Amino acid sequence: MSFEHLNGGQQLAIKYYTVAIGLFVAQILFGLLSGMQYLIPNFMLGLLDFNVTRTVHINAMIIWLLYGFIGSVYWLLEEESQTKIVGLKLGNIAFWVFTIAVAIVVVVFLVVQSGPGDDATRWFINEGREYIEAPRWADIGIVICILVFFYNVAATFSKGQWSGIAGVLTLDLVALAGLYLAGMFYTTNISMDQYWWWWVIHLWVEATWEVLVGCLMAWGLMKTLGVSRKIVTTWLYIEVALMFGSGILGLGHHYFWIGTPEYWLTIGGFFSALEPIPLVAMVVHAVYDSGVKHSKANNHPAFAWLIAHAFGNFFGAGVWGFMHTLPQINLYTHGTQWSASHGHLAFFGAYATIIIAMMYIAAQYARGQSVFDGNLPDGGWKWKWSLGLLNLGVVGMTVALLISGYEQSFIERAVGGSTWYGYFAAQTHPWFVEGMWWRMVFGFVTAAGIVLLVWDLLTIGKSRKAKETLETSAQTA
Amino acid sequence: MLEPVELKDFFIVFFSGAMVIMAGALYALLFAWSRLQSKPWMMTLAYLSYIVLFISVMALGSAAHLTGFWWWLVITMLIGYLLAPHGIWKLCEATHIDEVPNKVQPTLPPS
Repeated sequence: MSFEHLNGGQQLAIKYYTVAIGLFVAQILFGLLSGMQYLIPNFMLGLLDFNVTRTVHINAMIIWLLYGFIGSVYWLLEEESQTKIVGLKLGNIAFWVFTIAVAIVVVVFLVVQSGPGDDATRWFINEGREYIEAPRWADIGIVICILVFFYNVAATFSKGQWSGIAGVLTLDLVALAGLYLAGMFYTTNISMDQYWWWWVIHLWVEATWEVLVGCLMAWGLMKTLGVSRKIVTTWLYIEVALMFGSGILGLGHHYFWIGTPEYWLTIGGFFSALEPIPLVAMVVHAVYDSGVKHSKANNHPAFAWLIAHAFGNFFGAGVWGFMHTLPQINLYTHGTQWSASHGHLAFFGAYATIIIAMMYIAAQYARGQSVFDGNLPDGGWKWKWSLGLLNLGVVGMTVALLISGYEQSFIERAVGGSTWYGYFAAQTHPWFVEGMWWRMVFGFVTAAGIVLLVWDLLTIGKSRKAKETLETSAQTA
Repeated sequence: MLEPVELKDFFIVFFSGAMVIMAGALYALLFAWSRLQSKPWMMTLAYLSYIVLFISVMALGSAAHLTGFWWWLVITMLIGYLLAPHGIWKLCEATHIDEVPNKVQPTLPPS
């Protein structure tokens, strides 16, 4: 279909969204393979080992979310700045460089599955740091692409007009690119290495990504509900202050057991306990807004995914995070399936949901529709079912992993004292095994959800007469 | 500095940890809804939720041996959760004070 009516930034955003969805599908496929290898350890042994499937599963997630964020920012850039994007050609080149680099990295992960841990491996094969395994050459490429992205954003806002969202977004991108550098140097001291590695993982996810999401949420609420700019901007500032106030030193909850000084137990515990405060603020604000505005959303799927985001963020990051964040508890849960349970719900709830919402906003505009409401030709069954299946699948996996994680914390850590005996006793315990089976079942539910999601994004609003709907809407507005 | 949780308290620790957040959110939700709808009886439910939160924090503190410095964490959590909805509500009112009803902005392509 033609995207000629879209502006330059939006056309670039469509490219980013396309790759994001492809990587989302890859994430789920490799997640299914990893889950299967828990149940049948010999499954694909020697062909695609667990360490490889898990690496691709997690890295695909990080990269597709990054693609989703970048795409979303390009989508809103020209509209927010009220001017044409600066350096679009460079942005397009960066997109292709980034995409080719990602493809090469994945192929290398799949082809070269083992080898020596030397400098050549670090530079060209795998850096070995969990979640950010990309080799050094790709790291440098990622930073360059993010800097080009930053240039596009900062130069466009500078040329056009600045807004609260624009200012927060631009400063956040400085932190996004800068923090990645902390994971790019090598040290032989594992404690030091882990210390800096967490800067990338935690500060990206619980600071810069949360702020980016805050910007997207603010813009999304203006688009779907017509909330005034002044209100969303004020709340963006409040939430950024609360998130940074608690999230930055909340980093300490990753420093409990890596050989850092003991004061991190106190700092990590205290600030982690504060981290749910922004979420409580969001609850009060959401109730206030829904009560006083009675607004109708013009894009039902996007709005439904924004609500899924609010709940997912609260439960995934808030409830599941706080349950095991104090060091007295984390002593037992650290690195068990409990963490995986939290990770699944938090990443999906806080990030995947809002990117999907932005994709639906983009789909509405790209197809030239003034509304995506209850009058969709097919009744909107595809988006409703994909929403239901994806959420049910992820929540199901979360609960299954929680049961396995609870058993692991108890049998392996508390009773077994983290010994090999304790490890194997936990891995063969019926609660653990059954939890893993249920995780697999809900993994397939999630996979069914993504199939419907892709189908829906490719077809939603296509059969309506786009321009006519828009013109009618414009005349009545 | 850290006294590990006893085996018999495992479930209490995880459950009370979850209840801290759940009861905290319920308190905030009912508080905001009561103010919005001007229904004082709902405020009673909100403070009942806070009492559940209080009990959960105490249970967590006791099972996780939150003594010494950690006791201050317990106190801070209790005060923070009690006051946060009040403060956020005031911010809500302040940010919406001169708001005019806003229509949904149609997403139209540039002409």
